Amino acid sequence: MGHQYQAIQWNKNKVQYDIAIALFALLYTGVFVVTGLQPSETGNTPDPVVLLIRAFGTCSFLLLTFILMIGPLARLSDRFKPMLYNRRHFGVFTFLLATAHFGLALMWYHGFGPLNPFVSLFVSNQPGGTFPGFPFEVLGLAAFIIMLFMAITSHDFWLNNLSAPVWKALHMMVYVAYGLLVIHIAAGALLTEKSPLYPALVLFAFLIVAGLHLLTGLRERGHDRLRRALEDKGWVSVSAPQDIPDKRAVIVPLRDGERVAVFRDGNKVSAVTNVCRHQNGPLGEGRVVDGCITCPWHGWQYRMEDGISPPPFTEKIATYNLKLMNGMIFLDPVANAPGTKVDPVLFDQSVQRASENTEATVS
Amino acid sequence: MDETILLAVIAYCLAGIVISVLFLLFGIARADHAAKGAGIAFRLTILPGLIFLWPIILGRWLSGRQINQDIHAGDNS
Ligand code: HEM
Ligand code: FES
Repeated sequence: MGHQYQAIQWNKNKVQYDIAIALFALLYTGVFVVTGLQPSETGNTPDPVVLLIRAFGTCSFLLLTFILMIGPLARLSDRFKPMLYNRRHFGVFTFLLATAHFGLALMWYHGFGPLNPFVSLFVSNQPGGTFPGFPFEVLGLAAFIIMLFMAITSHDFWLNNLSAPVWKALHMMVYVAYGLLVIHIAAGALLTEKSPLYPALVLFAFLIVAGLHLLTGLRERGHDRLRRALEDKGWVSVSAPQDIPDKRAVIVPLRDGERVAVFRDGNKVSAVTNVCRHQNGPLGEGRVVDGCITCPWHGWQYRMEDGISPPPFTEKIATYNLKLMNGMIFLDPVANAPGTKVDPVLFDQSVQRASENTEATVS
Repeated sequence: MDETILLAVIAYCLAGIVISVLFLLFGIARADHAAKGAGIAFRLTILPGLIFLWPIILGRWLSGRQINQDIHAGDNS
């Protein structure tokens, strides 16, 4: 389980993301307050504190929406994977903004009365209170408490000491928090009689998040079915393409004693028999040189894509069919006739190997 | 709503502060070897969690269970 603990795991990538998020929050809040202070047709400008409360609240909700989109997006496309490793920092930012919103709202709406602010928060929805009607603030508080517990347990120490299942269950509560917030904002905006823009935008965000989760869920079910179908037909899972060392092979033993060498050349993966035509040398222990699999024993060569020796030679070895699914290579155990051309499987090389990422991604 | 609930929460957190500081000073290095020799910044980072979740950590401490024994102090490669 890794290394001695550090306070915060920063690397160049994370620092860049953190700076970007901080700048966004600053810019968003600034623009929100400045535009809100412009006198409207009715002539009454809102209090700057109220504007700050709204700016922090909406910014926090926006960030949370974004965070919840990262998971499904990363499953739809590898391009979003780097963000997965920054989710933890995004989450702490979201919490800090929520704290600013909560702190200011508590002070502004409940800090000046005779009651303790926290007591005031719970009674203010009664007739005559600050916000008579639906207790939207209590929902906000519930969401805040969930986010508080997520933020204070975000360090790896807690992942290790609470145990992964408990930690994960706690952090899955983010969906409960999100639901509570949707109601908090929609109801709060209705009660404070702002434009219907708020409920509309919140509903829109919610639909995007829910839609993305539904989409990836359905897609994964389709993938699972396909994978099971492949396995039923006897296909064998090999490994993630990134885990094959470049210009080298992994050797896959088949049930009938046959061995297959699965080679990688950059972002291309091809499979051939492990047996050299010359004297049965172990091809899978060789390297790819100029696009040709090169036998470690006496240097005979075969092209990756069709198993034929480059001209003027005409030696042929058997090729195998591969499929890439959910980041995993599958191998058809039925050999093609020697010299059969098979298009190499292509994969996205920019995605790091799982083991190169130090941050735990229990997701 | 009653102010006594608020007082109870405050008392719980005060107890948490005391237990947390004791745990950070004397307990953590044995309970989790990855924390052995880790800096003051790390200790402050997990302090808020300790203050709220101190019963769990106190239970861990008293049980004597240890984790991450394979990590050696100063191994920060
Ligand atoms: C995770 C935590 C929270 C988030 C992300 C959040 C977000 C928001 C958002 C986006 C709004 C809509 C802006 C508006 O209608 O003005 C709002 C309104 C409001 N929230 Fe929260 N909220 C959170 C927690 C809380 C808590 C704990 C309180 C308790 C005091 C609270 C009190 C309010 C109030 C009073 C308003 C109406 C402000 C106004 O219109 O003047 N919120 N919140
Ligand atoms: S066995 Fe492969 S080159 Fe001789």
